[in-house]
Amino acid sequence: MKYALFLGCTTPVRLNGYEASTRKLAEAVGVELVDMSGAGCCGTPSMESIDHTTALAVAARNICIAEEMGMDIVTLCNGCYEVLSKANDFLKQDADAREEVNKILAEVKRQFKGTVKVKHLVKMLIEDVGLANLRTLVKKPFDGLRVAVHTGCHLIRPSDILKFDDPIRPELMEKLVEITGAQAVPYPDKTECCGSPTLAVRENVAPQIALAKVRRVKRYADIMVTSCPFCYLMYEMSQLSAEESPYVPVVHLPQLLGLAMGLSYDDLALGENRIDPSKMTEFQTK
Amino acid sequence: MPRKSKKGVRETKARSTKTQGRNPASEESPSKKGSETILRMADMDPNLKYELSKIPGAEKLLLCLQCGTCTGDCPVSKRVPEFSPRAIAKMAALGMREALFTGDLLWLCAQCYTCYEECPENVKPSEIISALRKMAVKEGHIHPAYRSQMELIGTLGRLYEVSEIHNEMRADLGLPPVPDSGVDEVKKIMKRTGLDKLTQIDLSKEG
Repeated sequence: MKYALFLGCTTPVRLNGYEASTRKLAEAVGVELVDMSGAGCCGTPSMESIDHTTALAVAARNICIAEEMGMDIVTLCNGCYEVLSKANDFLKQDADAREEVNKILAEVKRQFKGTVKVKHLVKMLIEDVGLANLRTLVKKPFDGLRVAVHTGCHLIRPSDILKFDDPIRPELMEKLVEITGAQAVPYPDKTECCGSPTLAVRENVAPQIALAKVRRVKRYADIMVTSCPFCYLMYEMSQLSAEESPYVPVVHLPQLLGLAMGLSYDDLALGENRIDPSKMTEFQTK
Repeated sequence: MPRKSKKGVRETKARSTKTQGRNPASEESPSKKGSETILRMADMDPNLKYELSKIPGAEKLLLCLQCGTCTGDCPVSKRVPEFSPRAIAKMAALGMREALFTGDLLWLCAQCYTCYEECPENVKPSEIISALRKMAVKEGHIHPAYRSQMELIGTLGRLYEVSEIHNEMRADLGLPPVPDSGVDEVKKIMKRTGLDKLTQIDLSKEG
């Protein structure tokens, strides 16, 4: 299986641990991730609320690169997934919008054809690799590790467009976590947003939203797992700024899956996480 | 928008929000007096709701029952009492253009789509807010943080500047250099659609 790896903005610049662990996990599960030269920002969910046509064209330009490579896209960021997936489906269905966007893209010598799919890492692992196959790769399972899964917003909402998981009671990412032997624990307001998009508008709001979740999680779980660079940063940074005690380690999903598959702590770049997550390994039975 | 402004203008008293006392100096519309918010008919644009309903996503504005399901589960409303999707829908229906378009109210929405999923009338409050932002932007009221984001994307092709140090740190973990962002293409697209003029950004800046 080959995919075009859409890195987005935040992961390759601020979260090398997320990217490194994703690449290692992909190797371990037999997936080839190919870099997309010339792919930039997806457009951000913000651009859609500023100008619809520009947002579509900027997203479509990135999708065109994957079309030229002949591969489906895998994103690491929930925001990129929502933006690219929404634009891809919309342009596939709406001939007028496609024509308008292609007139704009002609200026950069590209054309949207509608030949690829957009997937998030979580969606690719579940739908294309499959839980049963992933389960056979688990060599060092966890026992007794309680994980608070934070699915985030734009992986599952708006559900009528993304059609991935239940928007209010999601369960797919939890199933993925549970193949490792860890327990995905229930906790209050599990689907609440991390607050990240409000950070640039009023900087005191987002940390309040993020910390409230961390404090709920603390009562039920040993670690938090995220699948989006923005959510990860919100939960890590808000705890560090508040000097939260005790800290709840936040890990990227491929780091958790990778450890269970026997990949090393260093290969998964867990040392990059600013809240030490090493206690996870104490729960590994082999 | 011509407004009927004459002496003895009708004033409607609305229930107060919890925010009074936090911004005591505010003399903006809607004006505040004691524990009451005064809505001036002269400040309301009856056409706003029709303009808004034409923007894709906001078509169902007038079906809003004001039940408050949206605000009840909004992560921002829980911490910022003056932000309420329910109130924004009402303000839009009443045509409170200035109160909506100035300040940071519309830009506080995290676009988490919780209200979108839970609204019993499928009004899509988050899409109404998104449509209101588009209208505000057209009238020159883009939030500065959003404006900077657009400028970064237009001048760098991404939200961050990539330096040598970033690539050295990546190399330490065996990662390839950050790929080229295609910024020249992004710039051409933004010029063609007029996003640079719409958001008052300067695309001639070097990244």
